[in-house]
Amino acid sequence: MVITPVHYIVAPLLAAFAIPLLSKIYKDAARVVPGIVLFYNMIISFVLMRQVLKHGMINEIIAGWQPPWGINLVLTPFTGFLAAMVSVMGFIIWLYGFRFKRTLKGGVVKYYEILQMMMIAGSIGVIITGDLFNMFVFIEIVGITAYSLTAFYRDRNGAEAGFKYLLLGSLASVFLLLAILLIYTQTGTLNMAQIAERMPEVSSGIKITALIFFLIALGIEAEMFPLNGWTPDAYEQAPSPTSATFAAVVSIAGIYALVRVLFTLFDVSGVHQYLIVMGFITMLVAEIAAISQKNLKRMLAYSSIGQVGLVLIAFGIGSQLAVFGALFLMLNHAVIKSLLFMTGSYFIYNSGEKRLEGLNGMHKRLPYVSALFSLAAFAIIGFPPFSGFWSKFYILIAASDQKMIFLIIGILLVTIIELVYYLRLVGRIYFAKEEMQDIAHKPSVNALVAMSFLALFIILIGIYPDIITGYINQAAAALLDKTHYIQQILANK
Amino acid sequence: MNPIINILLVLFAGSILAFGIDSINRKWTGWVAFLSVLLATFNLLSQTQASDVVFSLGGIRLKWGLSSLRLYFTYIIIILNLLAFLYSIDYMKGKARLGYFYSAFLLTVLGMFGVVISKDFVSFFIFWEIMTWSSFLLIIYNAYYKIKTEGLKYMIFSAIGAYAMLTAIVFVYHFYGTFDIATAIDQGVFSFENHIYIPLFFALAFAIKAAIMPFHIWAPSAYADSPMSFTSVFSGAMSKMGIFGLLLVLSTYYALHNPQAYIFTQILAWLGGITAAMATIYALIQTDAKRLLAYSSISQLGYIVVALSTGTKLGVMAALYLAVLHAVFKGALFMVAGAVEKQAGTTDMTKISGLIRKMPWTFFVALVSVIALTGIPPVGGFVGKWLLYEALITESNNYFLVIVIFFSSTAAFLYAYRFLFGLFLGQEEKETENVKEAPVKMLIPMLILALISIVTGIMPGLIFKPAAAAMREIGFENVNWEMTSLSNVWGNQTDLSLIGLFIAAVFVLIFIFLTFKGKKNTRYVGTKDISSSGELWKEGENWTFQQDFYKPFERAAAPLYKYKMNKIWEDFGNALEAFFNFFRRIYTGNGQTYALYVIGFLVLLLLFKDYIFR
Repeated sequence: MVITPVHYIVAPLLAAFAIPLLSKIYKDAARVVPGIVLFYNMIISFVLMRQVLKHGMINEIIAGWQPPWGINLVLTPFTGFLAAMVSVMGFIIWLYGFRFKRTLKGGVVKYYEILQMMMIAGSIGVIITGDLFNMFVFIEIVGITAYSLTAFYRDRNGAEAGFKYLLLGSLASVFLLLAILLIYTQTGTLNMAQIAERMPEVSSGIKITALIFFLIALGIEAEMFPLNGWTPDAYEQAPSPTSATFAAVVSIAGIYALVRVLFTLFDVSGVHQYLIVMGFITMLVAEIAAISQKNLKRMLAYSSIGQVGLVLIAFGIGSQLAVFGALFLMLNHAVIKSLLFMTGSYFIYNSGEKRLEGLNGMHKRLPYVSALFSLAAFAIIGFPPFSGFWSKFYILIAASDQKMIFLIIGILLVTIIELVYYLRLVGRIYFAKEEMQDIAHKPSVNALVAMSFLALFIILIGIYPDIITGYINQAAAALLDKTHYIQQILANK
Repeated sequence: MNPIINILLVLFAGSILAFGIDSINRKWTGWVAFLSVLLATFNLLSQTQASDVVFSLGGIRLKWGLSSLRLYFTYIIIILNLLAFLYSIDYMKGKARLGYFYSAFLLTVLGMFGVVISKDFVSFFIFWEIMTWSSFLLIIYNAYYKIKTEGLKYMIFSAIGAYAMLTAIVFVYHFYGTFDIATAIDQGVFSFENHIYIPLFFALAFAIKAAIMPFHIWAPSAYADSPMSFTSVFSGAMSKMGIFGLLLVLSTYYALHNPQAYIFTQILAWLGGITAAMATIYALIQTDAKRLLAYSSISQLGYIVVALSTGTKLGVMAALYLAVLHAVFKGALFMVAGAVEKQAGTTDMTKISGLIRKMPWTFFVALVSVIALTGIPPVGGFVGKWLLYEALITESNNYFLVIVIFFSSTAAFLYAYRFLFGLFLGQEEKETENVKEAPVKMLIPMLILALISIVTGIMPGLIFKPAAAAMREIGFENVNWEMTSLSNVWGNQTDLSLIGLFIAAVFVLIFIFLTFKGKKNTRYVGTKDISSSGELWKEGENWTFQQDFYKPFERAAAPLYKYKMNKIWEDFGNALEAFFNFFRRIYTGNGQTYALYVIGFLVLLLLFKDYIFR
């Protein structure tokens, strides 16, 4: 069997249909099968990534239907890198959550794992598809699974958060569909390469209107201010593995969609400045909101938005080095923020409350988890020698190349805000008096393995970033080389 | 293998090992940490001629290496740390979280060492940050409330400094295309001619680390509230990283004496002078010995900065000399405070007194170090002070600055005496009856430091030699020195031993005179034998000097105490927090509002699309 990108999509879909049947035979199928599928996805992402780096871009046309009627899946070093990242994170989060959900009663678990798997599969689909409408479909898959996962705990808050998400998500769908319609009427195709090729002929008024619809729709998905009202609630109310998935997978896919549309489809000037300004505002407002939060997961959610803002700034700068820094930061964000959610979830599980007071003196009950949380906090602030430092550093160098001194100062000042609230958390864990002492819920082995793996990654990349920089560099080059992308896909036709 | 890598590895391994071994046997933790610093010391002493370590990381060329200037500071760091770790073993006995403490402490040492050996800006910054966050972990070691106030204050200030430095570093790379420190300096990074903010940002980072006013807010509490074994390093060695950095920034000025940089050095000198004077005044009114020492430390750093900014041979030599001496005597004094804290339970000078009989050796160390601090011969501090005065008087036209320095160094006598009197002299109190001398492992490092103070006073050449070599590296040729003298600007020699001997002889004569004069009338009384001249003694009445020690002075200087930088910073912080709290209400938590934002934003974009996109 030849491994092709379509396996990314087919395996989870098949599994999703098969799980209810398999559950009749094997009771734990609902928990185990998604793991196998995600592991399979991880393996093929490595195989495909190797293939891409060796032989260049893979362009798979589904079922022999040529574009614009058919759908093609494209794996460049850029999309391959992101797909690999998302599938690895997906598997690790599954590993983490494997036993976490056993505490829930019977049938619910089944839906949980299927939804979780489909959300990851949908995100991979967003990343690897070469067709605009197909991207819309995958975004809808991600959206629907995400709404239901947000409202997974059937209480008032969960429903409210899910509803907010749904409200904004449906607005995103509407505008995305409108934008795609506009593009389709003008270019007569939905294939992204063809659209990019024909884009210069489109009149600028329609082009910019379509662009704005895209910006609104994908801005909602990519958590850009002021379109990100759903984010804090969704992150807070969703089960913690899902919050980690939001940070590590869904937001990555959202940013990807935004960047792909802006960088490949459109050739409008002003986009870069827009990204820098909006990215900075996103980051500033999010960190300001984060510092005065009283709830751990909400704080982490705002911090996630802040990181996304920095990623957008880096994409806005737009040079090879900046895109490199942005991708590096996306990777770091995925790893570190999911580690924060994973460890934070154990604090909440142990103290029984989501408020920050629950963290007081937690290191006595959970010494290892506390150490990992502190490590992640240090890494996300950007202290060397952890991985977070390098991404921030490259972005700053890229900004200095454009002489954006005020941007640099701004980013660093915002980092100080970030530093304050993360260090307060670390201080709470280690030095605050514990309020009550009951039996500790120690993390299960699989969760420990998952968290340790992420921590190891943070330290290793921090000390020796060269392990990963080669891939990221190629990925950045692949994103920026638009003509190559168009030529390759059209030639393949 | 290269000693640099050896030392880094030894320290890093020690840090991990100490953390691990703490859960096995708490007694070993301190020894493991001490052993790792000891190994590092051996590594350093065995091979001083290290070749540079050059490698590439993340596409950036990093370069580590030693040179005479770097070696000079490395000695300060390693030797003071060795003593501090020995001291720690007993000082930290019985405290919680030893693994955490030692592991963070060793990382701090690693960071300091790394800063000094970095020959490129990126590793400089990396080590600088490692040093900062690991020392933050130590500052908050004692209690939780500190993280909200003092620990965070330190971290925020450090972060402002570090990020200013980072901004400067990326712009150095942009303008000069290199991260290499030596190359960048050769190309005029620090010449103050163009891109003036680069040296300014660097200087900001270093001034914050050296606690120069008005960036000193973090320092008093950070120094006073950390474990004392760490504070002796914190104040003794880590603040010298700021001095080291300032030397790098000023090295272009030293070599060229360009007028653009002159103004900057004047500002720096004035900041240093103000720091020296103000910190001294604040030190006077402290009732806690640790806080007194903390302020004193800030003021001493002020002297060093003044000496640096003169930019003359004698001045820089004074700075380098004072840097070592400050590490020695302030390290010793903080250790003394730690010993008192450990043995008597507090360092509040209004509560304890008369420890001289209980802790004679500790008193001896305190006495020698205080003599060094105030600059009385024949102890080493005198040489540094003399050099500083001579540099200021003969080589700068800043006579007003000389007055400021004279004032603060005279006032230093007051707080130094208060420190001695408050802890060791005066009547014995009931509470301190059962106090014993500090354990040997704490005494040895203190005595060694006292010994260094004395030896450097008699033979300052021991420090002149490496200092002269270090100065050659930053642009001073022909620094002539002998074991007991240094040639000054006119070419004639400053024979320090002669001056020292003379003053010492005068003191001895006065001492002999006083002893013989009073001998006949002396009546020896016990320390608790207080006569009240017939007045009735009421409970709670102040009979000792312990309280309101310098009340008249305090009253006289009261207007000065009113203006506290601390208050300004705190108001600023509170205002900011209130603003943030107001601002975050953008996220109302209301779904309809969020939807409205989306639509509003869409309308906004459509309205202004012609301006934004083209």
